[in-house]
Formats: sequence, C-alpha cells, structure tokens
Amino acid sequence: MRHGRFATGLFFSMIALMLASLQIAPAQAAERTASAPQSVVYFHYPLDGMRVPERFTVKIGLKEMGVAPAGVNKSFTGHHHLLIDTDMVSLDEPIPSDYNHIHLGGGQTEVVLTLPQGTHTLQLLLGDHEHVAHQPPVMSKKITIYVR
Amino acid sequence: MRRIASLCFFVLVTIAIDARIGAGAQQPAPARNPSATNARIYFIDLKDGATIPSKVKIRFGIENMEIAPAGVVRPNTGHHHLLIDTPLPPIDQPIPSDFNHIHFGGGQTEAEITLPAGEHTLQLMLGDQAHIPHNPPVVSDVIHVRVDAATVEKTRTPAPAGASVSIVEPVDGATVGRNVKVKFGVSGMELAPAGTNKPNSGHHHLLIDTPLPALDREIPSDLNHLHFGRAQTETEITLAPGDHTLQLLLGDHEHLPHDPPIYSKVIRVRVSDKSPDKTAQAAPREPTKSGRQPSPPDAAVYFVYPTKGESIYPNSTIRFGLRNMGVAPAGIAKPNTGHHHLLIDVDTPPLDQPLPSDLNHVHFGNGQTEKKITLSPGRHTLQLVLADERHIPHDPPVISERIEVFVKTIRKRSRRR
Repeated sequence: MRHGRFATGLFFSMIALMLASLQIAPAQAAERTASAPQSVVYFHYPLDGMRVPERFTVKIGLKEMGVAPAGVNKSFTGHHHLLIDTDMVSLDEPIPSDYNHIHLGGGQTEVVLTLPQGTHTLQLLLGDHEHVAHQPPVMSKKITIYVR
Repeated sequence: MRRIASLCFFVLVTIAIDARIGAGAQQPAPARNPSATNARIYFIDLKDGATIPSKVKIRFGIENMEIAPAGVVRPNTGHHHLLIDTPLPPIDQPIPSDFNHIHFGGGQTEAEITLPAGEHTLQLMLGDQAHIPHNPPVVSDVIHVRVDAATVEKTRTPAPAGASVSIVEPVDGATVGRNVKVKFGVSGMELAPAGTNKPNSGHHHLLIDTPLPALDREIPSDLNHLHFGRAQTETEITLAPGDHTLQLLLGDHEHLPHDPPIYSKVIRVRVSDKSPDKTAQAAPREPTKSGRQPSPPDAAVYFVYPTKGESIYPNSTIRFGLRNMGVAPAGIAKPNTGHHHLLIDVDTPPLDQPLPSDLNHVHFGNGQTEKKITLSPGRHTLQLVLADERHIPHDPPVISERIEVFVKTIRKRSRRR
C-alpha cells in the first residue's frame, strides 16, 4: 500500500538524491530547501482584478510539488502562506506570522478571509518545514482584488 | 556529494569483491553454487534516495532465479539477505546473521523492518541453501534511504494518575489584545527543563491554533507548537487579530507526551481588531471507535477542475480542493490531515481498509493537489477520497461526489487551412 509513496519516476528520485545531498552538506547559514523544477503556486480563486465579497474563500493550487503540514520535512513539499497587502522582504528568513502573513501550517489548501472594503493585494508563497521559502522560491504573482 | 560518495562506495565494493575473488583463487573455499546468467535481485518500489517511515515494509524482487527456503538444494534458487548499513560480506563464506545481515531463510519476499531516524543503506544479497553467496554473487544495488525522525516511535514516559496542566491566564472566551500573556499551571507533576530525565516531570508546550499532535511522537516545534524547554511557566505571544485556540501539552525530556498524555482543555480567545485571520482549526477529537482517524464534521473534498458533467481534453490536469482539513504526505500522522486518492472509473471501495493502489486508484502520497492524467475519449467517472497516513479513509469518510466527465475526441489537425 505504499505505492503512492514510491511511485515516483527515476528522474524524481535522482532529484531527490541531489536534494538529500544538499541536506547532509554542512549546515550553511542561508541554505534553503530546494523546490521542484517548474513548480508553481497559484490562485484558483480569486483571480487578479476580481471583485469579491468581504468574506470569501481563497483556494490555492500547487503544480509539481506536494503539500505537507509545517514541521514535516519531506522533499518537494511545503505549506502555503498567504501574504496580504505586503511584499515579502527577505526570502532567507522564516516567513513572519502576523496579520499580513497567514500561515496554513496544517497543510490547508484553502482559507476563509474577511477583508475590509477596498483594494487589497494577495500573494502566495510556499514555505518549507521551517517556514522558509524554497530555493528557488515558489511564489505566485501578486494579485489585486476589490472587496466591496 | 552524496552521489559521488555512493559511486566511491560502489567502486570500493567492486575492488573488494575483486580482491576477494583473487584471494579465493589461492585458498580453496567451499564450493559456491553457480548463479543464473542475468539473475537480478532488487527492491520493489523503493528508490535510492527515498524518505521512508521508521517502520516500513520492504519487498524484494528477483528475476531469472527462484526463491527457495534455506536448506533446500535446488539449482538456480536462493533466499534473500537484507544488508543494513553494512558493506558486502565476504562472498566465499556464509553470510553472517546479525542485526546488519537479516536472513529470510523461510523464502520470504517481503519484511517489515524498523530503522532509527537518519540515513541508512540497504542492499539485498542472495544466498544458497547454506547461506553462501552464489558465483557470481547476486546482489542488488545499494540504496540510500532517509528515515524521518517524526515517524520514530518512542517509549513514552509514564505520568502519575491525576496529573494535570491548565491555562491559568487568559480565561476561556476572553477578548485580549494582540500581545497576550499566557500563564501555565501544573499539578501533580514537576517542571524540569528539556533533556532532564527525571520521573514525574516535564515541560510545557503551547499549541496555538492547532489540534493535539500525534501523542506517540515528539511534539513538533514550529509557530503552532511552542516549546518551553527551560521549564518556563508563562510566556508572551503575539497573535493576529481574530479567534484563536490555545492548549497546553506537557512533554517529557525528549518532548514526547507522557502516558497517559497530560494536556489542558482547549481555550478560545478573541484578539481584538477587525480580523482577517481564520487559521483557527477544529478542536481536537478523540480517536473514533472504528480505529480510523476522525475527520472534522465540516471537512469536504471536491474537484476544482473538472466539474460534474464537464467535457475535457484527453490530457487534463485534475485539480483537487479540500475544505477544513489539511494535506499531509502519506506516512505523516497528523490530526485533521490526509492525502488525496483519485478513483477513476471504479465504484467506491470499502472505506474501512487501506485504499487499493492501482491504475484506477491513484494515490497522491507526496501531498500533491493536482495531477495531469490521460483518459481515453468517452465517458469516465472521477471521485476523490481523502485517506490518512496509512491510506485508510477517515471516519466519517471525506469523499467527493462521483462526477462524470466526457473526454473529447481530438481530431488530427487538418493540414489544409
């Protein structure tokens, strides 16, 4: 019954091996977890320029990688972070946890938001088991929405 | 780096084998049984570089030879030996039998083994009726695996009856500012810093917006699980405006909950300010009678794409949605999480046992939330089922509607414009 776990291609395991080699390398300050090639995080909902009600559900899509709860260290997985009305400043440090940076550390792929009326920006950023962005970072385009 | 290391290892082993063959030529060794040409043994579904749980079932494959129990003399047969964290033994002597050399003299082709956390090597070697490698020896590739520390089962420290922890401040239902002072209470136990193994002692862990973690594992350390390893009795945390849950869980010197576990009831606080934060999750629930992982009552899994009745192309990316639960890769035991399974053109399987894994039941054990699949033109049914770390659906099951989709016939593009 572990087919799901192991049913990955040879290519993937080669990459995983390289990743493993990165992980056992002597700890360097800014060593970030590798992301999968061509991985993309994106919004299923809302889309750029949409008008949304005050309370709405953000639905998140992830291509070529998997979701794992925070604290789970598994190759090519991460958990979603939703950045609201903010720019991500440093990708080498853990993503802050506050009003503007919502962590979906339980492995959630959607989150209900209540935002005040007006224009807001949303952006998605995948973080690894330690809430640090991957290398290269898996980050969505920053979208603008209008809450009415 | 690792690949180079394994290459070097391989080269060294090869040299060692050559050396031993050379040595064997000089000193008469016990006659070895010939192996079949093209004989091959290998690990089934276990790839080099894989991350595996501590307790794992490993399956052995063999080609062009057959398995016979130890002691049975028959040409072109042998039995498996699993070499753990050890180079190949001398090939002209019986394979040792110890922790690093596991014999499957009954002719077994699979085994459940338990490995400590960290990096390990595994290799298979065929031995004859007397446990002596064949000539030439039949060995598998060396594979490297990594055991995730989170999956290691440890012995829990017993706790005295009546011991309890509680959140003294704030009180349940309180409305508080963004900087919240949390005071911990404990009775019937002593507080001791992490790493101090002293009977009837432990240190606090504050769970923020998260259900109880697996109680037979180390308590995670992240923004939702704060450790107070210096035996602190209070802390100040900053919470986003909105509703939050707080709970205390005592951990022993290794951050493992006690047996029985000592945890407080969940308290809810509201952080004033208008809030966009909805990270609060459902309160933890006790395991169900069925032994299956409980799911929150409002959890749902659904198709983001395609939707019911939709016409799609033969190569389409199926996208999964999940409400009020989280995704976790297979093998990760965490409350209120699971991984997706896509059922294609089949009826719903029994929900009280692990889901089958075949072409009609596709597992997404790496936590994937979408998958490009190829379907033949015509009518197909799709259904999603969430299942726990052992591929067993939750109780109640989190299962989507079985949707029907129509796959378009693609006509070859005409060359004429």
